[in-house]
Formats: sequence, C-alpha cells, structure tokens
Amino acid sequence: MKASYLGAMGYSQRHTFPTTWPIPPAYHDPETSVRSYQEGMDECEFAEEMGFDWVSFSEHHYSGRIATAAPAVMAAAVAERCKRVRIAMLGQLLPLNNPVRCAEELGMLDNITNGRLIIGFLRGTPNEDQTYGVNPAEGRGRLFEGMDLILKALTEPQPFSWEGRYHQYRTVSVWPLPVQQPLPPVIVATRSDDTVRYAAEHQLGLGVSFVPPEQMAAVTGKYFQWCAEAGWQPEPDQVVYRGSIYLAETDKQADDWLAKRTGIGPVPGGIVMRPNVTRAVNASRAGEEFDLRNVLAGSPQGDVVGVARGLNFIGGPDRVVEQIKQFHDECGAGVVDLFFQQPSVDHREVMREIDLFGKEVLPRIREF
Amino acid sequence: MSLRPSNEDPNSDLINLFQADTRNLVVMLDPARWDDSPLRDALAAKYKVARMQLTRYNLLRGENGPRQVHDVAESLIDVIGKMAPEQKYTLVAGSTAATVALWLTLMAPEAVEALVLISPVAVLPMGNPVTARPEQLLAHLENVEGLLQLETDQTEALSALIGGGVHDSELEGRLEQVSCATLAIFGLSDRLISPEAPRVYREKIPNSNICLIYDAGHAIVADRPQALIDTVMDFIERRDAFVVGRQSSVINP
Repeated sequence: MKASYLGAMGYSQRHTFPTTWPIPPAYHDPETSVRSYQEGMDECEFAEEMGFDWVSFSEHHYSGRIATAAPAVMAAAVAERCKRVRIAMLGQLLPLNNPVRCAEELGMLDNITNGRLIIGFLRGTPNEDQTYGVNPAEGRGRLFEGMDLILKALTEPQPFSWEGRYHQYRTVSVWPLPVQQPLPPVIVATRSDDTVRYAAEHQLGLGVSFVPPEQMAAVTGKYFQWCAEAGWQPEPDQVVYRGSIYLAETDKQADDWLAKRTGIGPVPGGIVMRPNVTRAVNASRAGEEFDLRNVLAGSPQGDVVGVARGLNFIGGPDRVVEQIKQFHDECGAGVVDLFFQQPSVDHREVMREIDLFGKEVLPRIREF
Repeated sequence: MSLRPSNEDPNSDLINLFQADTRNLVVMLDPARWDDSPLRDALAAKYKVARMQLTRYNLLRGENGPRQVHDVAESLIDVIGKMAPEQKYTLVAGSTAATVALWLTLMAPEAVEALVLISPVAVLPMGNPVTARPEQLLAHLENVEGLLQLETDQTEALSALIGGGVHDSELEGRLEQVSCATLAIFGLSDRLISPEAPRVYREKIPNSNICLIYDAGHAIVADRPQALIDTVMDFIERRDAFVVGRQSSVINP
C-alpha cells in the first residue's frame, strides 16, 4: 500500500477562525500567511524524504483551513521542491471551472514534473457551489461534461470545437499534452453511483474521502463489480482513500490529545454555513425548490453541510497501521491520502507526525 | 413560407424543395427521411433547401445491379445542376450520405462552396454496418422519439452500397483535395465511428473544422437537436469564421 501526504497549506492560526464558512479575509495576516505556505511546503518536502509516495492537493475556497484555492499553483511550487514523489491533483472542482483551463494546467503540470502527475476530478462540497455562483442543481451535469471535455482535450492531437450543455468552445487545442501517454492516472473522487459507474466504464480510478470503512466498502464493492462488467480490473493505485490522521507515539497520547481537542476548531467537522444558505444549497442539489417562506429560522450558529470530517486514523503506530489495513482489506484501497493538519496541530507537531509515520507506519503498510 | 415540399421539379421523386426568401441554396443528403427533421426546418426558414432522398431505389440500383458511390454522386450532380444551373451551394450530409457528399464535392468542386458532414462514416467506422436500430444510433434511448423515420430496408441497402461499416480508403486518400470550407460534426458518444476519425478529417481536409457534440450518439439530431442546429446554422452563415465568439457575456449592462 502507498501513502500520500495531503498538502493542505493550512493557515497556521486556523484555530482562531470562526466555525462558519466563508472565513472573512480580515483574518488574513500576510506574515503569518507567508510562513504558513513555507511550512506547508516544508512538510511536503519532509514527507517525500520520509518515503511518502504522493503529495496531493485539493481545490478548496474562501478558507485558510485548506488554503489551496488554485491547486495547480501549489502543485507547481511543491513539484520544484519534491523531485521524486508523484504530484496528485485530487483534485480540481470541475463544476466551478473552465475545463479547458483545467486541462491546460494538467498538461503543464505533467510536463514540468516530467510525468509525475496524477489527475483527480471532484464535484466539491456544497458550500463551494457558491464560490463562483454555480447553480448547485447543475453541479452534477457540469462535473460529467467537465470530465469528458478534459479527457478529450488531453488526448486529442487536432483542434476541435466542443458543443456541450454547459460549455461551448469553438477552438480547443491544448498545449502541452501530457508526458504520460495516453493519459496520466485519473482518479474520480466520488461516492455517487452514477459517477462511480462513470469511473468504471472509463477505466479510471476511484477516490473516497472521510467515511468509515464500511461505507467505503459499499462504494468500492459497486466499483469493482462495474469495472469487471466493463472488462477490466483496477490496479491497487487506482483506489484511494483520503482520511484525517493524528499519530502519536502511543495510543494513550493520541487519546489524551483527542480528549483535549473537544470543542476546538470546526468540529463536528463539516462546513458550517448560514441555515438558509445550507437549506437552499441542499434543496438545489436535490433538484428541489427552496422557498424561504416554508422554513423556520435555523440555529444562530449555522448548519453543517457536507460530510462530517472526523478523525479516521488516530493512535500510536500499531493502531494506525491496523486502521489503515482495514481500508486495504475491506475496501481494496491501495493508496491512503492523509490529512495531518488538524485544528490545533501546529507545524512542529505535523513534522513530528510525518517523521513517526515514515519510520513506524509506512514500512509496515507497504507490506500489504 | 411553406415547409411542404413543392412538386414543381421534374425530379420530385428524388428532390423536395423548401423555399425561403433567399437564393442561397442548401442541398441536404441523408440516408434517413428528413420529413420531421428539425434541422431541415431550421435551414428552410433561412435558405432555399433541396432535400435529396438518397434511399430512392432507382438512385441506388442501376439496370445491372447496385451502383457505385461515384455513380450516385454523379447522378446527384446532374440533378442538382438541372434544378439550379450554375448555382453554388452548401452541401449538408449525414452518416452514410456523407460519403456520397464527399465524393460529390471531389467531383464538382466548383459547385460546392461549403460542406457540412454530420456523423460521417467514411473514415474509421467501427466495422458494424449502419442500421436503423435506436440502440446503435442514440446516446440515450429515451430520445428515440427524436429519431428520424428510418426506412430500415433502404437504410441498410444504402449502408451496404456505400459501405457504412467499411473504411473508404480511396476517399480518405483524396480528402486533401476537398478545398471548400468543411465542418465535420461528431457525437461524442457515437458507437458507429471510431473516436480517432474526427482528427483524420481535420488533418487531411485543408480548410476544415471538427465539432464534437457532447452527450450525443450517431443520430445527433435526436440526442442534441438544438446543439446540432445552432452549430450547422452558425457555420453555414459564417463558414470557418464561426470559431469567433459573438455571444455576449454582459450580465447587467
């Protein structure tokens, strides 16, 4: 099994943020921010040194918790520091973006890394539908069209026009094409049946995030079945699990840390928005009308949308190895993409965890 | 303006004319009946449209059996020339009929001033004969109502004649001689044509563009009718300049 380090580039003072989203730019201090990015890149570099196989980046907006709104920018910067690991874009939020632009960024990244790129497609969390004013009801359709357009743009050697439902381009001619031919590895991050089926039918990998193993197993079970029906079998690297981790020297130290952590940061994990905004997004995603007259006032603190991001891996090395093994054995995961930058965990602590993971966990998960 | 075909032409068993207030002529070739085609209607609202019914028995078979594609193209050149002497025209053709259209363009380059190929099968077909089966033609079976009324026997006869499932290597070798502005349109989910085919047209026809219609199969007119109409109309109006955007992005002027 392989390990990936999620380069979240979190703002070091993120524990001071309010629980709601978006985080007001007023919280931004330039000096702290510059230092945070430097520390984040140091972490990526150290993860490579300690044997991690991938460094990943994920597009998220309007928050310093994962401060990579433009993941290609971050990936390019880290790729110049890290010369061995694979650079995993897990990934770009296709409903929000111009797919041709995404394809151009991916083509460039695969060239400047000399073929170390891994591509990931994401729909995004409900709050992010607001980022560029996309109608949440159209997110799924934009995701599917975006995937098709990017795959075509990265493989087509002649200029073409694209007449889509959401995108119309009369000239698409992406330069440069990827170094990896015909395509870099592609991971579709999803738990939805239609998107899982898309990944299976197009012989693409699958990524699942922040759910317990039994939930991931239900998704990968369908995926493996549909892959078989499509006449192929995924490689281990094509099944990725992303989870949060806190690694201590012993289980007791980790449990003590968790006990003290209660009440700190954006727990219970998800992204908190104003109640009516939450309801409107969820209604739109479900294809329903949101009528303000039919709802009662929400809680003044706001409502949580999206998946609650609890800690998936917590403990000393032995326990964490077993927890990761569970995703391998029960879900077929071949890569674990780890989010170390928990609230209240500072840079020094993250570096300590990376060191411990590289020495005590990574050699053992490689065996399965 | 009437969309009903006029019968003034002596070849009315082959041609139906749809007259709009213009002298610009669009000739449509298709293996299907175009009676219900929204593309035909859109074109006829703006241009003088001549619909050529390629599935006519006497067009496909001569006295000594099935005719060659070149012979069919030659007959059409003759018929169109009699209908509109010395008039240049835009040629629009789909599927197997696009093979005829390409031969026609090669044989009468002075007459064809623009060429629109919709799901052309001449180059790199998947190897299966073109039939009238909806599951073969559509990206989404629920769009079957938009499928043109295919006359199964004649469609398959035309397919057999033209070689709907066979790569026309002679034609491919001559594509570079097609000199008029050309647009080749493909459904991204076409099950009859290789995904490699569009680039061959773009590489070999000097003044060509290719257009991929997302979420459409071979019968684009059924899966994405408005996308097809908009693309074809824009190209006929502006030719290769149709790549220049003109849709306003102003929200609040």
